[in-house]
Amino acid sequence: MSVATAHTRTRGVQIDGVAVAAALATFVCAAPAIAVIALAFAPGAEGATFAGDLLRDGALGTLALVLAGGGGAIVFGATAAWFVSLCRFPGRGVFEWLLVIPLAAPSYVLAYSYASFSWAGGWSPIEVRGFWGAAFVYAVGLYPYVYLSARAAFASQSACALEAARSLGVGPLKLFWRVALPLARPGIVAGAALALMEIAADYGAAQHFGLTTLSTAIFRAWYAHQSLHGAIQISAALLLAALVFLMIERRARGRAAYGGGSSRWRPLPRYQLSALPAALATIFCIALIVFGAILPLAWLARLAWLHANIGDVAPALINSLVLAAVGVVLTLALAAAIASAARRSTNIGKASLFAAGMGYAAPGAVIAMGALAMFSLAREWGWIGGLGSALALFALFWTYAARFAAAGVGPIDAGLARLSKGLDASARTLGAGPWRRFAEIDLPIAMPSLAAAALILFVEILKELPATLILRPFNFDTLAVKAYSYASDERLLEAAAPALLIFLAGLAPIVLLARSIDRTRAGAR
Amino acid sequence: MSTVSLQGVRRSYDKTLALHDVTLTAPEGQVVALLGPSGSGKSTILRLIAGLESVEAGEIRINGELVSAPGSTLATEQRRVGMVFQDYSLFPHLNAAANVAFGLDKLGRAERDEAALRWLDRVGLKHRASAYPHELSGGEQQRIALARALAPQPRAILLDEPFSGLDAVLRAELRDATLATLAETRTTTIFVTHDAEDALQAADRLVILKAGRVLQEAAPREAYDRPASLDAAAALGPVNIYKGEITNGALQTPFGDINAAHLTNGTSAQAAVRAEALTLTPNGSTRVISVRPHGAHDLVKIESQGVTWRALVPARMPLGDAVSVTIQPAGAFVFSA
Repeated sequence: MSVATAHTRTRGVQIDGVAVAAALATFVCAAPAIAVIALAFAPGAEGATFAGDLLRDGALGTLALVLAGGGGAIVFGATAAWFVSLCRFPGRGVFEWLLVIPLAAPSYVLAYSYASFSWAGGWSPIEVRGFWGAAFVYAVGLYPYVYLSARAAFASQSACALEAARSLGVGPLKLFWRVALPLARPGIVAGAALALMEIAADYGAAQHFGLTTLSTAIFRAWYAHQSLHGAIQISAALLLAALVFLMIERRARGRAAYGGGSSRWRPLPRYQLSALPAALATIFCIALIVFGAILPLAWLARLAWLHANIGDVAPALINSLVLAAVGVVLTLALAAAIASAARRSTNIGKASLFAAGMGYAAPGAVIAMGALAMFSLAREWGWIGGLGSALALFALFWTYAARFAAAGVGPIDAGLARLSKGLDASARTLGAGPWRRFAEIDLPIAMPSLAAAALILFVEILKELPATLILRPFNFDTLAVKAYSYASDERLLEAAAPALLIFLAGLAPIVLLARSIDRTRAGAR
Repeated sequence: MSTVSLQGVRRSYDKTLALHDVTLTAPEGQVVALLGPSGSGKSTILRLIAGLESVEAGEIRINGELVSAPGSTLATEQRRVGMVFQDYSLFPHLNAAANVAFGLDKLGRAERDEAALRWLDRVGLKHRASAYPHELSGGEQQRIALARALAPQPRAILLDEPFSGLDAVLRAELRDATLATLAETRTTTIFVTHDAEDALQAADRLVILKAGRVLQEAAPREAYDRPASLDAAAALGPVNIYKGEITNGALQTPFGDINAAHLTNGTSAQAAVRAEALTLTPNGSTRVISVRPHGAHDLVKIESQGVTWRALVPARMPLGDAVSVTIQPAGAFVFSA
C-alpha cells in the first residue's frame, strides 16, 4: 500500500459539515422571528392607529383568555397529577396515562366539536360559546401540559420529605398544600407556561368563538385591513409574550431539576383515599378524559359518519399527507443538525438550540408573518419575483421547519445519546468506512428515536393551522384549512370529517407518550 | 503479525502535552504492556496507534509502513489494527455472533457466519452466539470484544485496560484465557493497564510511563530487578524511599546501608527499597508499629530514628515489638537525586 495514496487528512472536513448545517439551521429558525422584530420597529406610515387599537384589544383578549383558560388548565392538571402521583383510588393506574389523551386534539378541533355539540342541532343543554366557551376548551384541552410536568415533579419528590411530614401528623390535604405543592411548584410553573403559550398562539378556536386576541388580530390586520406592517407589529407583541412564557418555562425547568435530586429515593408512599374522596378523584379524572377527549372525539365521529363528504375531504387529506411528509424530511434534517451540534456544546450548537427554541415558542401566525415579510423584502430588493405557488410552498416549509425543529431535537438527542464514541471507534478499527458506520451502526441505533421524532413532527405539521392558512398556495387546502373554512361558514357538520382525521392522527404520538408514561410511572425508576 | 513502532511521538490536548517524545517498539508476536497511572498517556498511545488521533511530531510504523506522521494519518479503518475498548463498546443492536462478524464483511455470508462461530468457540462462548450485549455478563462481553477484534486477523491488537471492570477472581482467570488466545494466534499485542501485577504476569515486554514520558522499556524481570529510575521502581510495587548522602560508596538508612558504588561520595541520592526486599527477624532495635494481613503476606510498618517503612513478610510470622532488619540488595536501588 503506498503511503501517499493511503493517507487521509483526519481533521477539518467532518467537523465543518455539522457546524455549517447548524449555522444554516440557526438562520432558518431565527430569521422569521428576527424579521418580525426588525420590521415592527421600522417606520411604517400606513395604519398606525388601527394597529394600535387592534393591538390593545388583542392584548387584552389574550390576557383574559390566558387567565381564565390557563387558570383552569393549571387547576385541572395539577390536581390530576397530585391524585395519580400521591393517592390510591380506583382506576389510578389507567388514568395515569389516559389523562394525556386530550393533547391529541388541537384547540380548534375541540372548539368545532363543542360548537356543533352545543348549538347546531347538538345535544348539549349548555352552549359552549364566546369567551367562556374558549376558556373551557383551553382548560380541558391543555391541562395535560400541566399534568405531565407536575406529575414528573411529584414523582421525583423525595419520599423522605413526604414521610417526614406524615410522621409529624400532617394529613393528605395539608401535605399537598404545605409540602408536595411547594416542592412541585417549579414543575407546575413550567407546564403552565407551555399551556399559556399554546393559548396565546391559538388562532382557530379564538377565531371560531369570535374573540379578539393577538392571534386573531394579526389575521384581521392582514386580511381585513391589508396591512402587512400592522400585522407585523401585532406579531411582534405576540412574539414578545411567547418569549416571556418561554423564559418562565426554562427558568422553572432549571429549578425543577434540583427538586428531585435526593440520593435516598424510594417509591412514593401513596395515600389510600377513603370511599368518598376516592369516588370524587375517580369522577374527576373520568370527567377530564371525557371532556378533553372522549366526548368531542365521539361527537366528531358521529357527525363524520352522518355527514362526511369524502370527495371533498380526500384531496385535502392527500395535500396534508404530502405537505407533512415533505415537511418532516426537511425539519428532521434541520433538527438532526441542531441536535448533533448541540451535543458538542459549541457556540454554534448553543445558538442553534436557542433559535429553535425561539421558533417553537413563537406562534405559527407570527412565524408565517415573518416569512411573509422576508419574502416581500426579497421581492422589493428584486431577488425574487411574485409569491407564486412554488415560492409559497417554500415559505410554508421554511415556516414549518422554523416552528417545529425544536420538537424534533429532543428525541433525536436521545437517540444520539445512545451512540458512544467508543462504538464509532470500534467500527473503525474493524475496518468500517464512514458510510458503513452510518448505515450499520448510527442509523439502526438511532432509528427508534428518529422514528419518534418523525411521527411527532408529522402530526405537528398536519395539525398546523394559522401558518398554513397564511402561506398556502391559492386553492391548496389541507385538512386543517378545510376544517377551518367549513367551520367559518358555519358548516360544522361538514367540518367534522377533517377535524376527526386530525384528531385521530394526533392520537398516534400521544399513544407513544402514554406508553412511555406507563414505563416511567412514579415508584418505578 | 507485525512489529509496531513509535519514534519520537508527541501529542498534546488543549496546549498541555499528553505525550513527550515517546519511543517504543512492540516486536512481532509479543505482548507489550503499557503500565502507568491514569493521565500517564498510555491510552493516548493506543489511540494514536489505532489512528483515532493524529501525531504532532514523530512517526508510527506498522511492519515498516508509515501510518502516522505529522499532517498525515492513515485512516483507522485502513490500518488493520484491532482494538478492545475499556467499556468493550459492543454494538448494542447486534447479537454476539453479528458483533464478531462485523469486521469480516469481506467474506461471503456463509463463510463469515462460520468464522464468527469459530471465534466464539475459541473464547468459549459459542452457546451465547445469539445473545445481545445487554444479556451478557462483563466477562462475557470482554471475551466477545476480544473475539470481535481478533476475527479479522489484525496486524496488531490493542487492549485498553482489558481487565479493569472485572472482579478479582474473574480477572485472573480472564487474563490467563486472554493470554492463551493471544499466544495461540501469535498476534502482536499492546495492552494498557495501571495494575503492576497484570503487567508483570501478562507481558513479554513492559513499557513504564509517567506523565507522558517513557520511564523504562524492558522485559518484566529486568524492569523489576533493574529499574531505570525511582519512579520506574515505584511503578512495579510498593517501595520505601529514603533521601541521603553517599558515604563510603553506600547510602546509609536507619534500617541499614545500601551499596551505591556507582555514585560519587558526598553527592545526595535517593534510595528505593521494595517492601518485599526487607527481611525482619525478631529481637532488634527497630520498633514494629503495626501488622496487617496483605494477601499471602503481612504488611508490617516499622519505625527507626523517626523514619517509617513498610515491609511485606510471610504471613503470621511471630515478630514481637521490635525486630532487626536486613535489606536484600536485589530489591534496593540508589539513584542520584
